[in-house]
Amino acid sequence: MNPTATPAPSPLLAVEALSRRFGGLVAVDGVSLTVHQGEIFGLLGPNGAGKTTLFNLISGITRPSSGSVHWKGVAITGAPSHRVAALGMARTFQNLRLFSSLSCLDNVRVGLHRHSRQPKLQALLGSRTFQQREENLRRQALDLLDSVGIVELAERSSASLSYGQRRRLEIARALAGRPELLLLDEPAAGMNTTEKGELTELIRSIRREHQLTVLIIEHHVPLMMELCDRLAVLNFGRRIALGTPRQVRHDPAVIEAYLGSASQSVAGAAAADTPGSGPVDQEAGGEGRS
Amino acid sequence: MDATLLVQMLLGALLGLSVYLPLACGQLSLATPGFYAIGGTLAALLSTRVPALSGAAMAGEGGGGGVPIYPLSSLLLEMVLAALLCAVVAEGLGRLVLRLQGIYLTIATIALVEILRVVSLNLEITGGAVGIFAIPQPFAAPTGYALFCLALLVLVGWLCQRLAVTRPGLAMAAIRDDAIAAASSGIAIERWKRLAFVLSAVVAGVSGVVAAHFLNAWNPRLGNFDASITTLAFVVFGGSRTWLGPVVGGLALTALPELLRPVGDLRLIVFGLVILLGPSLFPQGLITPELLTSLASRLPRPLQRRLGMDRGASRNRRTPASDPPLAAPSSPGQAPAEVER
Repeated sequence: MNPTATPAPSPLLAVEALSRRFGGLVAVDGVSLTVHQGEIFGLLGPNGAGKTTLFNLISGITRPSSGSVHWKGVAITGAPSHRVAALGMARTFQNLRLFSSLSCLDNVRVGLHRHSRQPKLQALLGSRTFQQREENLRRQALDLLDSVGIVELAERSSASLSYGQRRRLEIARALAGRPELLLLDEPAAGMNTTEKGELTELIRSIRREHQLTVLIIEHHVPLMMELCDRLAVLNFGRRIALGTPRQVRHDPAVIEAYLGSASQSVAGAAAADTPGSGPVDQEAGGEGRS
Repeated sequence: MDATLLVQMLLGALLGLSVYLPLACGQLSLATPGFYAIGGTLAALLSTRVPALSGAAMAGEGGGGGVPIYPLSSLLLEMVLAALLCAVVAEGLGRLVLRLQGIYLTIATIALVEILRVVSLNLEITGGAVGIFAIPQPFAAPTGYALFCLALLVLVGWLCQRLAVTRPGLAMAAIRDDAIAAASSGIAIERWKRLAFVLSAVVAGVSGVVAAHFLNAWNPRLGNFDASITTLAFVVFGGSRTWLGPVVGGLALTALPELLRPVGDLRLIVFGLVILLGPSLFPQGLITPELLTSLASRLPRPLQRRLGMDRGASRNRRTPASDPPLAAPSSPGQAPAEVER
């Protein structure tokens, strides 16, 4: 038992031997990991490694076949996602799930849902206090849009945004729930190098501002190496490595299974995202061999 | 336009709203005629079988022509009872069927309508296929019904408007757009879906009560699958994204067959064409949020504010640069004053 092994307060999130089978396919196979308060924890792995499924298991969208998830030492295995959200976990989605008929502002206001409860009668009659609180919530939502840098788009329909702006909006919506743990599923997917750099900065700044712990899935290896405090690497549903970026990129299993043993297979695996990733990966591979 | 048609139109609008409510959070329920029938049957039974309800009227002896007028208080009592019964049935049924997604939910609600129809067709107490006759009249003339239905429609419409601009409306829109993302944002989607379903049932049940008195007779054919499709057409025609859409659809599609009476048998063809062309020319329905926003922006400013539409309209004009100074003086300035008092 991982949580009891450490005498310190239990980790924010502890995943223990978590598995999920879809028919004959074992998407997540006995994965264990712990995420501590304040760190940026990365999940790395090739396509189909089970990263998103692991996110879905943690955030309550998919029920695990076996294993457990603990939040601050309390079992939350299989809890529905709105409960998980209420505990202080928020997430973004790989394929972007915005509310397309709503404005950007309203998307964030949905994120504020669990903090926007108002006395029913006042809401029904639209009393002055109700309107003041609504105005207050509106301003909170604008602040959040501001903190991800898209406040000028507040009134635009979310369907009209560019890809990068949608990613930012999704992060703002997730932050609106005032989470302690933010789960980011491939936030840099489809972004160019400049946008990726901005995103890295954004993640760092929101962690500082909101005192967040971040669990992030990303394909882009250099970004992950730079951003994360610790990394876990998945392959075929199994965790094959865990540690600091330095430890992980020196891990022979990772080089073998994910980055590949030769530099040309590294280029094939990771450089699909940007041309810039090639040299850094080669450098990583080179260090691993030396 | 005579008052009888007006009553039918208003009831149509109410049923349109009943279909609209679950649809507002993405649930296509065709159970509306089922709950309409529960309300209607309950009203027919209570008013014809329970002398105490109409007893008070005998002493009062209101209305013209010596026909005893059914007390309004009894009508209201029936409406409350129907609302409660429908709410309980919808809550229980909702727990079962709202887990179903998409077409399966729709089929389950059709099943409810059919079960209720077959049961009331075969029960002796509901009068079988003949139904229940001589339901007492709370109003001497159709005008009374029209005013009563109008008041009811205004009440339900107001409720829908408040729902739309407050937290429940936002939650329901989020569920409609993307249920998984809504749940991940902390929205208890099952609860909101059930709330919409229960409200839908209550609106339909209460309308059924009024309809039973208005029609003077009730039979199981009034709540069948055809009625499901008709009420759905109200929403498709009028538009499902605002509550005004189903109201317009309900009013228009109930009135149309009657207004077309002069063209004789052609009217059914014309009606069919309208049903066919409406959705193909206006895929979103006649009334869309965009249409309302553009209409509202033409209204005078104070009226916009009263309607609660100024925010949506002014949002588009407000630039981010001017936003903080605009927002800042208004409410914080008032808030301390409120506290000091």
